[in-house]
Amino acid sequence: MALVLPPNVSAKSFQQALDAFAGVVGREWVLATEEDRHTYLDAFSIGDADDHVPSAAVGPKSVEEVQAIVRIANEHKIPLWPISRGKNLGYGGSAPRMSGTVVLDLGRMNRILEVNERFGYCLLEPGVGFFDLFNYLRDNRIPLWMSVPGNAWGSVVGNALERGYGYTPYGDNTGHICGMEVVLPNGEIVRTGTGAMSNSPCWQLFKYGYGPSWDQVFVQSNFGIVTKVGLWLMPEPESTMGLSMQLSNPEDVGWAVEALAPLRLTGVIQQSPSIGNSLRVAAVQSQRSEWYKGDGPMPESVLREVLQKFNLGWWGVNLRLYGYDEVNEVNARVIKNAFAKYTKQEFAISKWHRGDPVADSGAGIPSVAALQVVNWRGGRGGHVGFSPVLPATSEHVLKQFRSTRKRYEEIGMDYYGSFTLFERYVTNINMMIYDQDDAAITAKVRALFKVLVDDAAREGYSEYRTHLSYMDEVAHTFNFNNHSLLRLNETVKDALDPNGILAPGKQGIWPKALRGRKV
Amino acid sequence: MRLLMIGAAAAFICAMICASLATADTARNLEEGERLFHARCGYCHLDGGTGTFMLGRRLGKDKALLEKRTDLNPDFIRHVVRAGIGSMPPHNRVELPDSELDLIAIYLSRPTSARESRP
Repeated sequence: MALVLPPNVSAKSFQQALDAFAGVVGREWVLATEEDRHTYLDAFSIGDADDHVPSAAVGPKSVEEVQAIVRIANEHKIPLWPISRGKNLGYGGSAPRMSGTVVLDLGRMNRILEVNERFGYCLLEPGVGFFDLFNYLRDNRIPLWMSVPGNAWGSVVGNALERGYGYTPYGDNTGHICGMEVVLPNGEIVRTGTGAMSNSPCWQLFKYGYGPSWDQVFVQSNFGIVTKVGLWLMPEPESTMGLSMQLSNPEDVGWAVEALAPLRLTGVIQQSPSIGNSLRVAAVQSQRSEWYKGDGPMPESVLREVLQKFNLGWWGVNLRLYGYDEVNEVNARVIKNAFAKYTKQEFAISKWHRGDPVADSGAGIPSVAALQVVNWRGGRGGHVGFSPVLPATSEHVLKQFRSTRKRYEEIGMDYYGSFTLFERYVTNINMMIYDQDDAAITAKVRALFKVLVDDAAREGYSEYRTHLSYMDEVAHTFNFNNHSLLRLNETVKDALDPNGILAPGKQGIWPKALRGRKV
Repeated sequence: MRLLMIGAAAAFICAMICASLATADTARNLEEGERLFHARCGYCHLDGGTGTFMLGRRLGKDKALLEKRTDLNPDFIRHVVRAGIGSMPPHNRVELPDSELDLIAIYLSRPTSARESRP
């Protein structure tokens, strides 16, 4: 793979910058061989790897080294793409939006700086993985639970900064951030919230501080490099109770949302119930070719065979209550009564009590088992997710489900979707699974993705997170007052980062010098 | 002659010490390689892991658990880790430095004698 230099940077200047980086981090941590560049490509590319090629990577060990790198990058006009551990799989992994960007890999900054049992929080560097924090809590017998996403290979901080989700009552990961340390594009360090006081005991306790609150400005943005994050952890509950049910028909998702939404809104259910189609389970446990070898979508008759084999319904509903035994029992009765209005089926119930094996508890236990789905079509597997946000009503969910499923089938792919309920909205994750070396299927995925973005925008649905290749398209759908939000973001970008060195193009925000250019 | 014998004895003792030091080094490397394999690769490649599951499907159950394989050589392991293979993404040198990868490669390709001497 040929070296792609950053825009407007000569080979000589680029080499000088790399030499200067080496002066800061040591030659060993400037990764600039062809093999190194390959290791930072999108591991699940959709036939678009050439659009997101890094020129090198640099791996600092401390915030001081990050500051020094930023100053050098300004001097040589070198764009930097910060990653925590680079496992943003399905959204571009460790690859930069713009080819030629140097990946700033924060994986060596992996200290767990504090875990506070009394207040239930931790303070982490970006390189701390879900497994690292889990092992730390377990080994030190700290009764705090993490919120863990489906694929837990990556960074705790990175996931929260990309607005990832988990399945416990603390599942809105970005919503549980409390206090950050950030290196600005000019190399200055700031601490947000009450961390801006030199002696505050409340940095990880009180989110807002005084005046404008900045934490969320550094989430999914390119305004600063986040070097520390405070994150709230959930005190271990006395007990949990899992309720699950298989629904027989595609249209059942409508009434299930109608039954669950008021329970979620009023706090009877405090985590986010998920309703996922059963292909998710089948793809973990089998391969497509075991069932169907045709090119188009699997026919309904074949799908029914799959469901029968695994004893699944068309959808699986899963939710869990966390708290005191008595309270969980009462809330479970309320949920059963709500479902009884729509179905005679009973929930399958699983109970956990403090002291039982944690594996059955519903605690956030890291796993990478979900990655098994990329083997659905065999070969060099990959997946990408289209993830719009809808109001939590059956009307919106059914309309979106029918329309998305039709689009999958029109283009010849197997529908693979889930709906996760929050208090007032639903996230709708639609997965597309492919063999990266099958050009026909990756072309279908790209076409489907584009259609889904356009369809959702027509309904006024935004994505909460997207793949590198669609960041501009999705940003463009935020079109109120002729895209005034994007103009605000660009104004902030230019003020904080006049040389445009930090993550050009992330979330559709380009620095002035590159704005409107095809790079 | 006497001097020659003393010299030969000294050389023999020195060789024994060197051999035992080398054995100690090898044992330490294997131990560290095993620890690193569990810490860095264990998410996927221990019993029940997603990598073990995928390898079982693709190559058969006898080749699913990397620790049990006897057909792996260090160069192949290094190549697979850096280039990726099948659904396994490539691993960069920040998440897995060369020095750690080398020890993992030594551990996974250890000779039968090293396997038998360990419980």
